[in-house]
Amino acid sequence: MSSYLSLSGINKTYGNFTALGDVNLEVAKGEFVTFLGPSGSGKTTTLMIIAGFEKATRGAVTIGGTDLSDLDPHQRNIGIVFQNYGLFPHRTAAENVFFPLQMRGTKRGPGLRRAEEMLEMVGLAGFGHRYPKELSGGQQQRVALARALVFEPSLLLLDEPLGALDKNLREQMQIEIKRIQRALGVTTIFVTHDQTEAMSMSDRIVVFDKGAIEQAGAPLDIYHRPQTRFVAGFVGESNLVPARIEAEGVAQSPVLGRVAYLPEGQPQAAPGQEVTLMIRPEHMKLSRAPLDGRMNAPMRIETIVNYGDNALVIGRAGDTLLRVRVLGADVVILKEGEDCTLSWLPEAARLVTR
Amino acid sequence: MRLFGFAIVLFIAAPLVIVVPMSFSTASSLQFPPPGYGWQYYVSYFNDPGWLRPTWNSIFIASAVTVLTMLLVTPAAFALVRHRFRGKGAANVMMMMPMAVPHIVMAVGYYSVFGQMGIVHTKIGVILAHTCLSVPIAFLVLSANLKGFDRTLERAARSLGATPAQTFWHVTLPILRPGLVISALFAFIQSFDETVVAIFISGRNAETLPRKMFDSIRQEADPVIAVISTLLFVAVALGLIAPILWRAAAKSLRRGPAPAGRA
Repeated sequence: MSSYLSLSGINKTYGNFTALGDVNLEVAKGEFVTFLGPSGSGKTTTLMIIAGFEKATRGAVTIGGTDLSDLDPHQRNIGIVFQNYGLFPHRTAAENVFFPLQMRGTKRGPGLRRAEEMLEMVGLAGFGHRYPKELSGGQQQRVALARALVFEPSLLLLDEPLGALDKNLREQMQIEIKRIQRALGVTTIFVTHDQTEAMSMSDRIVVFDKGAIEQAGAPLDIYHRPQTRFVAGFVGESNLVPARIEAEGVAQSPVLGRVAYLPEGQPQAAPGQEVTLMIRPEHMKLSRAPLDGRMNAPMRIETIVNYGDNALVIGRAGDTLLRVRVLGADVVILKEGEDCTLSWLPEAARLVTR
Repeated sequence: MRLFGFAIVLFIAAPLVIVVPMSFSTASSLQFPPPGYGWQYYVSYFNDPGWLRPTWNSIFIASAVTVLTMLLVTPAAFALVRHRFRGKGAANVMMMMPMAVPHIVMAVGYYSVFGQMGIVHTKIGVILAHTCLSVPIAFLVLSANLKGFDRTLERAARSLGATPAQTFWHVTLPILRPGLVISALFAFIQSFDETVVAIFISGRNAETLPRKMFDSIRQEADPVIAVISTLLFVAVALGLIAPILWRAAAKSLRRGPAPAGRA
């Protein structure tokens, strides 16, 4: 992978507080990378350093080999869509999209024509004369996107742009943003705290926590092979239980008993080492009696949350709450308060050592 | 409840109900109800240099006060709303001080200090004094507007290629314009209206309209006062309605007749 955007050794401290500790990242041209993390994890700070609104205490940002450190935000040629869109209320949609062209010396006539073309590209043909307050949230979002792309930026930054939209519109905009990003081939950094959004949109996810990168990888890689306890807990639903390694391929857990796992592709763990075992809820099964060929453990059902097509069963094994995803059709035979058997295959158990 | 509301409106409007008819009076002094109606005092107002000169003085002074106030208040509001610095709290209090001190006390203060400086009974003196009195209200209006200003807009402009100066000119200023206009309007009206300080320091040379009215009411109760009050009321009312009409006109020009069913 050839690197296009490169963050090397980015640090940001406020007095004694370290907001970012040594962030290193390489992004390829045309890649869609998502910064995922809870609020305060440093993802937005990193974005603002790339945009030039924050200065890194140490480290450098380069795009295509050019160091951006000494450039002001307006010299960086980076398009940004802000969480609340940041549309200029005194300008129409077309005038908003024209703004970056105007700043680059384009005349009003051709500039507005170019703006209308861009609005058409984001699905807003004929809306150019409207003022932002005359547009719906989703439409404002599209205008903001058109405005951030019309000047052919070297990088597109999206700062939680879907946060203010309702669920249906969100999904629609996720697809729309992906489509436009692919069509233009613009390298994109998307910031979100929503892991489903990250999963569905990204080429690569970078998980942030406490001002550092926890893990960077393809969405499914992050999902199936989390390298830290934080990533395992933050990305997707998971059951995390403490365990101690007995021998290679066997761990002893106070919650689940003796657990076999496949050592290939797992992090190294020596006998006696304390680790965390992760099993995804959809890899668990519930039955009346232990099943042959699977790992089994007893569980008492506490709560059943129905979603129609599937249900989340929350049960207790010892003092630990466990979650199991069950298909909607199977849930009718389960009752709250019932004792049953939890089972999974050895390959479903994932070792997390950090 | 409705009755109560009606009573309040009546109470507020009462002076108008009395003053407007009196301006068309034929009586030789202020008298209500008027014995007859005519235009004679409007004619005499527009022909009497004794009234026109203070009117022009007031307009000149209020305009100068407005410019000076805005020059002081705009940077102050930006500094006090957007930046943190030592002594910010104290600076905020200082901006508001002229509001807290009674005008009569301020007037006495100006009278003695300006006397020593030799600018008592001059327009400069009145302008300086009125500017002091206008600052708090203009500052209050502008800083409230500035607090509500979404700074994301400025960041957006910067990211789109605008220099700080271009950002101010194309984004900050146009969005803040209504706040600036209202703030300036308050400064103007406060100076135009001000009587106490004007009585002390305007003298004959810089006589303002309220001062002239005050003198006139003490000496002869000239019904021209009612004429001026009516004209001022009409001017203020027009000033308030004009922006609304302007916006409506601009809107209908921009997109032709409004489509049905949309607000």
